[in-house]
Order: sequence, then C-alpha cells, then structure tokens
Amino acid sequence: MIRLSLLAAVLMVLPATAPAQAPAPAQTPAPAQAAAPAQASAPVGDSAAGAQKIEMCIGCHGIVGWRTAFPEVYKVPKIGGQHEAYIVRALQAYRAGERSHPSMKAIAATLSDKDIADLAAYYSGALPKTASK
Amino acid sequence: MMKKPVLGLLAMMMLGAASAALAADLKAGEAKVKAVCQACHGADGNSQNADYPKLGGQYPDYLAKALRDYKSGARKNPIMGAFAGTLSTADIENVAAYYAAQPAVLVTRH
Repeated sequence: MIRLSLLAAVLMVLPATAPAQAPAPAQTPAPAQAAAPAQASAPVGDSAAGAQKIEMCIGCHGIVGWRTAFPEVYKVPKIGGQHEAYIVRALQAYRAGERSHPSMKAIAATLSDKDIADLAAYYSGALPKTASK
Repeated sequence: MMKKPVLGLLAMMMLGAASAALAADLKAGEAKVKAVCQACHGADGNSQNADYPKLGGQYPDYLAKALRDYKSGARKNPIMGAFAGTLSTADIENVAAYYAAQPAVLVTRH
C-alpha cells in the first residue's frame, strides 16, 4: 500500500512538475529579451572602447582630404568634434538603409548599438585626451 | 573609338565643376547662411544643438553634395529637403564655401 501510494504520489507530482517546468524555460529568456532592447536603445558610449573599433573608419575618415571613389567623388566628411548624438543617428540611419552611401551602409550594418555609441563617443571628442590637458 | 570623346567630355565637366567651386561667392554665401541656415546650424557652423550637425570647417564639396542630395530627395529629411529646395545651384556652392571657410570645429581624427 505504501509503494502504491508512493507511486501514485510520484505520478501525481510528475505531471504537475512537467507543465510547471515547461513554461519556466520560456519565461526565463522572456525577461532577458525584454530587457535587452531597453538597454540597447541607449547604450552609453565609451570613447576608449570606441578607439579600439575605428579600423573600419580610419581608412577614409582618418586621412585628411581623402576622397570617395563611388558613386560620386567628394571629400569624405570630417567627423571629429561632431555632436555625439548626431553621429549615432547618422550610423543608425545608414544601418537602417535610410541613408544610402554604399560603403557606409555596408559598414554600419556590421555595428551593434554599443559599437555605434562607442564610435560616436570617440569621434565626438575633437582632441585626444592628452591634448586637452 | 568612342572612349576618347567621352573622356574629353568628362574632363570638361569636371573642369566646369571645379571652376564653379572656385567661383563660389563667400559674401553671397554668408547672406544666404544668415537668411536660411544659421537658426539651426549657427552663423559659423558651430551648432550647439545635437539635433543639427556642426558644419564649420567641413569640406565644401561634401557640404554641396549633401545639399544637392537633400534638394533632389536622394537624402531624405523633411527639414533639410525643404530648405535645400529653396537653394539654387549657385546658392549651394556659396553656402558650402562659406561654412567650409569658418573656423574648423570639425577635425580629422585618426
């Protein structure tokens, strides 16, 4: 009788735990997913981190007087000292396809929100930190 | 056989564009900037509002390209589309030359 009641108890618990476990994995990522966009919408830019991410930028924006080659020829804009928020919006617009320079669209497509914030923090500072002292 | 005349034409067009840029009228550019641009971008292009980019010391051909794109609609912005739409080709060259000649608040970082 004891074994039977144990078995019954196990049988009762098992179906009860199974559905309880089923929603649990679904619920666990849900708050994380909800929190991620909230954090990603306004990541704080880190100029030092941005300085480590400029390899894709300096080939054009780091050379005085460098010209675009395609689809139109003109000097690549200076971006040092530009408003941080403006650089963020420009990169977001390229990434979203709202601004249409081929190179900038391709590069911006590889950037995360954090990358964009870091690069904007770096470029909006007109002078290296050592020079401002 | 057709390439040389086409190249010649291209060269003439580029020379024409270069001479148009050289012929930019800073006084006329200043007047246009004060009438159309300065409320947002500042008379010297040193905008203090992050909604509006700084333009002082920017390359004139980049500024002119941006204005042409706003005017044509290739670059979409309701505010700039409206303002650039009022500018003639000469206005664009003059305004671009004027802002490019202001103290450089923009620099090349590397």
